[in-house]
Amino acid sequence: MRAISAPWILAAQPGFQPPSVNELFNWPNIVTLHLGPLNLGINRTVLLMFLGAIVVVGLFRGAFRRPKLVPRGLQNVMEALIDFIRRDIAIDVIGPEGVPWVPFLTTMFIFIFVVSVFEVVPAIQFPVTSRAAIPVMLAFVCWILYNAAGIKKKGLGGYLKAVMFPPGVPKPIYILLTPIEFVSTIVIRPFTLAIRLFANLFAGHLLLAVFYVATAYLIQPKITALFSIASFAMTVFLTGLEVFVSVIQAYVFTILTAVYIAGAVSTEH
Amino acid sequence: MHATTFGLIGAGSAGIKEILPAANELLWGTVSFLVLFLLLWKYAFPPAQKALQARSDKIRDDLESAEHDRGQAAALLADYRRQLAEAREESGRILEDARRRAEEIRREIQGRAEAESGRIIQRAQEEIAAERERAIAEIRREVGTLAVDLAGRVIGESLDRERQLVLVDRYIDDLAAGGRGEEN
Repeated sequence: MRAISAPWILAAQPGFQPPSVNELFNWPNIVTLHLGPLNLGINRTVLLMFLGAIVVVGLFRGAFRRPKLVPRGLQNVMEALIDFIRRDIAIDVIGPEGVPWVPFLTTMFIFIFVVSVFEVVPAIQFPVTSRAAIPVMLAFVCWILYNAAGIKKKGLGGYLKAVMFPPGVPKPIYILLTPIEFVSTIVIRPFTLAIRLFANLFAGHLLLAVFYVATAYLIQPKITALFSIASFAMTVFLTGLEVFVSVIQAYVFTILTAVYIAGAVSTEH
Repeated sequence: MHATTFGLIGAGSAGIKEILPAANELLWGTVSFLVLFLLLWKYAFPPAQKALQARSDKIRDDLESAEHDRGQAAALLADYRRQLAEAREESGRILEDARRRAEEIRREIQGRAEAESGRIIQRAQEEIAAERERAIAEIRREVGTLAVDLAGRVIGESLDRERQLVLVDRYIDDLAAGGRGEEN
């Protein structure tokens, strides 16, 4: 609490300029592009999305351009990743029929991870997933996919019946259960998915930025220099934490997508 | 700017807008992700899957061939063991056979030697007996002649030689019979 309260106390003093949300997250357009009232310009965030996609392509290209029978270096890492998604997410969660989902789940995982871990990459230091766009888009894609998978497997009626009328429940309970199941499965899921990812990275970026700014502000030949050191220590700790958060959030998003798909295609609820 | 600008609530216009995706970022983010997915799906995953498949195939093949080799080695070992046992049995049988044959030969030779010696002894006995007969006949004749000569000289009466000999023979036969009778 002490380290966190420091910038708050100091912020009340004149001279300290705490970073605002606008400053931290809203980047001005570099290329302006309008479609009617819609702003479709390219800003730093958009460039980082492109960079993220390019990095991922580069990782795969480096790993599998000339695949070796005995893998080394990058190929090893990427194979381990694909194998992990395949075994521990696709097959464990969805079952043998989850194997065709491996390319999608792997892409989802590594894209989320790369654009999130931009937070700790020097000169970038901005997680694209702290903007709502990517989480919302991925949650929407996930929502379409698991519903489509369920409808494809059971038909629209069969799928909705499986969602809203889980078997093995006394009939009157359905009055309560059916709306809850419908809302939680069809309505809530994409929101929780998107907000979980977005909020985690948003908060992480906010924290890191605050402690960076505080460290810089406090470093002066006064007693506050001690707080500067504490604040700097926090940035080091938070940098490690953000790497961890990036992995965890990518994993959570991917495994939940797999869980939703599994729930939609499973024959017994 | 004040401390309140930290919070979303105090951020004024930044508030709800932060939770909603910006149109430009949503569009380009979607494009980035979909293009990335299509590229990976089309170009990266097939070779990756192939590499993984090739590796697992190779590992499975290696394991299978190792298993196969091991089976072969075990079969070979069993074969060798069996052959060794057979050879042992065979050599035992040969040895036993040789022993039996030797015993047979020994018996045969012994038998033949015994028969031979028996025959030799028998012949010797026969010869001895024949010699004895002959000697006895000789002695008898000599004794007869001597006796007749002696008696002739003693009584001076020259008997017909043939008759004398007959007399003597009878006499000796009587003697022999009497003697034999006495012995018994």
